[in-house]
Amino acid sequence: MTLDKFFNPKSVAIIGATEDPNNITSVVITNLIEMGFTGNLVPVNPHHDEVFGLKCYASLLDVKELIDITVISIPSGLVPEVLRQQARCGIKNAIVLSGGFAESGHKGAVLEEEVKTICKEEGIRLIGPNCIGVLDNYSNFSTSFLPWTKVKRPGKGNLGILSQSGSYVVSMMDMLSLEGIGVSKVVSYGNRVDVGESELIEYLTDDESTRVIGIYMESVDDGRRFIKASGNCTRSKHIVALKAGRQDSGIEAAKSHTGAIAGKYEIYKAAFKKSGIVEVYGLAEFMDACKVLSMQKPAKGNKVLVLTNGGGFGVSVSDLCGDTGLDVAPTPESIRDTLSKKFPEYFILKNPIDMTGSSGDEDYGTAMKSALVNNDFFDAAIIIPLMPPHTMTEGVVDIISQMSKESGIPVVICMVSGVYTGEIKKKFEEKGLPVFPTPERCVKAMSVLVERGRMNG
Amino acid sequence: MADKNTKFKDAGEIIENVLASGRKILFPYEAMDIIKSSGISTPAYALAKTANEAKKAANTMGFPVVLKIVSPDVLHKSDVGGVVVGVENEREVERNYNEIMNNLIRKVPDADIMGMLVEKQAPTTTEVIVGGIRDEQFGPTVMFGLGGIFVELFKDVVFRIAPVTETEALEMIEEIKGFSVLNGYRGAEKLDIQKLAKTVVTVSELISDIGEIKEVELNPLLVYTEGVTAVDARIIIN
Repeated sequence: MTLDKFFNPKSVAIIGATEDPNNITSVVITNLIEMGFTGNLVPVNPHHDEVFGLKCYASLLDVKELIDITVISIPSGLVPEVLRQQARCGIKNAIVLSGGFAESGHKGAVLEEEVKTICKEEGIRLIGPNCIGVLDNYSNFSTSFLPWTKVKRPGKGNLGILSQSGSYVVSMMDMLSLEGIGVSKVVSYGNRVDVGESELIEYLTDDESTRVIGIYMESVDDGRRFIKASGNCTRSKHIVALKAGRQDSGIEAAKSHTGAIAGKYEIYKAAFKKSGIVEVYGLAEFMDACKVLSMQKPAKGNKVLVLTNGGGFGVSVSDLCGDTGLDVAPTPESIRDTLSKKFPEYFILKNPIDMTGSSGDEDYGTAMKSALVNNDFFDAAIIIPLMPPHTMTEGVVDIISQMSKESGIPVVICMVSGVYTGEIKKKFEEKGLPVFPTPERCVKAMSVLVERGRMNG
Repeated sequence: MADKNTKFKDAGEIIENVLASGRKILFPYEAMDIIKSSGISTPAYALAKTANEAKKAANTMGFPVVLKIVSPDVLHKSDVGGVVVGVENEREVERNYNEIMNNLIRKVPDADIMGMLVEKQAPTTTEVIVGGIRDEQFGPTVMFGLGGIFVELFKDVVFRIAPVTETEALEMIEEIKGFSVLNGYRGAEKLDIQKLAKTVVTVSELISDIGEIKEVELNPLLVYTEGVTAVDARIIIN
C-alpha cells in the first residue's frame, strides 16, 4: 500500500470549501493556487455553486470525475458521513484537518473510534484528524491552512518533517524558510487514527527527494514497527527525533522495587539507539541536527581540526569539543612542518590552528590545503572565519568551500549572525556549508555528524 | 507458549507450570531455577518446609547461609522481618527459622507460607541490577544499572531493546555514570565485565524468547573479579 496519493494527488476534493476568509478551507485553496498546484481542485459544499471560480458541488456523490483524495475541514460530527460518502465513490484517501475528536473529550473520542472503524471497513487511508496535513514541495501540494504570507513556505530540499504536533510543523517551516533549509515533504498527522510515523518513515525511506527525516513525537504508533522501519531507513538516510513528554516517566523510577527498572522515556531512548536515530532535546537542536545532516555527510571518526583567525573562538570551540567527546587532536608534525614554512611564526599551528587577526582569505586556503586536502589525519573540521579584519573578504567563502570539497571530509562553519556576517552565512550555505551562530550550536552539530558516523560503523 | 527448542527449555517448562497454577509472580526459588537453568550462576539454594529441613540444607551447602521467607503474600520480604543474613550454624538456623515464621504470623496473619529459602551466602562485592521488561510499545527490553543507592538515588540505569549482542551489552555497561565502580576505581581490582555483559545478553534473550515473561529482575547480581552470581531473582509473567 503506497501513500503516494497523499503527496502527489491528481485531483483533490476540498470538503467544506468556501471563500470565507474566516474559514480555513479558503486558506487551503488560496495556498494551493498560490503555490501552483497543477492537479484538479474540486470544491464540495452544499452552500455554494462556485468557490474561487471553481465549480462547487453540493455533495461528493455529485462529482463525476475520479478523486484521489479528500481534504476534510468541517465540524467533526459530520466527518463520518463524508467518509461513508467517499467510500461509496471509491475515494481511498482522506486528510481530516478538523479537530473535535479524541483531543476534546469523551464525545470526540467516540467520534474518533467511528472514524477509525469506517476507515478499516472501507479501506480508506486517513491522515489526521486534528492536523495540518501535508506539504509536498516537489508536487506543490499542501493542505496547510496557515497562509504562506504568515508562515513562509520553505524552499525545495532533502529534509522531511514528521510531527504529531501541528504547531511544531508550522514553527519548523517558518524557521527553515528563514534559515534557507530546503524541505521535501512535511506531514502533521495529529491524532493519528490511521497513517502514523512508522508507515511514513517506511514511505520516506523510498522517497528519492528525502535524505533526512526530522520527527517530533510524543508517543509512538507501533513500537516494534517503528524500530524496524527506522533501523531500515537509517542504513541509507538519517533520522533526527525530538521526543516530547520525557518527564512523564523516569520520575516514578526507583520509587518501588519494580519501579526502579521502569521508565518509559528510557525505553524511547533505547529504541532510538537501536534504530540509529539521532535524538535531540530542543527546537534549535532539532533544526541544527536536521540542517547539518541535510548538508554534510557523517564523519568517519572523531578527530576534528579547529581552524580560525580568532583565538577566543578557537579556545571555546575546543572546550566544547572536549565536553562532547570530539577529539581536537594535536596537528601532526608533518602538517606543522609544511605550514611553518608558509606562515609567519606567530601563527599557532597546534590544534586549534589560530592564524590570528592578521591572516586573510588565502591563509584559510593554505591551511586547509595542507591540513585537510593533502593529509587525511583529520576526520572533520570546524572552521571559524571571523570577518571583521580588512584582510577577510567574502572571497573566503569560495576558498573554504573549494578546500572542503577537495578534502572530502565534513566541514561546518561557526560564525556569529550579524548584519554583514548574515550575508556571508547565506553565501556559505548556498555552497552547501552549514553555518552555526554560536560555538555551542556549531560543536553540537559537528557531534551529530560524528555520532552518525559512529553508528554506521 | 514458550518455544520448546530454545535454550530456555527448562525456563519455559517452569513458567507453564506456574501459569497452570494461576499465579503471575514466580516464587523466588522458581525464579532462581529459571536463572540457573539459563546458565547464570547462583549460590546453592534449597526450599525448606521445616526447621529441620533448613538445617539439613544449610549443612549440605555450608555456612554462612541466608534465610528468606517464601510466601505469595509477602512482596517485600525485609519489611516483615522475612530475611536473615549471616546465619552461621545449625542452632542459629533453627532459631532464625522460628523467629521469621513468628514475625510473619504476627505481621501477616493470613499469609500462605510455602517455606523458607535457604541460600548459601555469597561474599560481599559490588552489586548491580540486570532486568528485563516487556514494554507495551516497544516489546522486550533489557536494563542494566548499579545496585543500591545508584539505582534508587541517581537512577543510573540504561535500557536497550532486547535482545542485545555482547557488544551492545558492553556499551550499556560503559554507559552508566558509575562505570568506574566496576572498572577498577582507585586501584580497586577490575571486575568481570565480560561475564557481566554475557549475563545481560542472557537476560535479554530470556525475555525475548519467552513471551510469557513480563518482567525479570536479578537484584542484586553480585559482580566479582571473576564471575557473577545472582543472589535474588524476581520474575513476573502474564
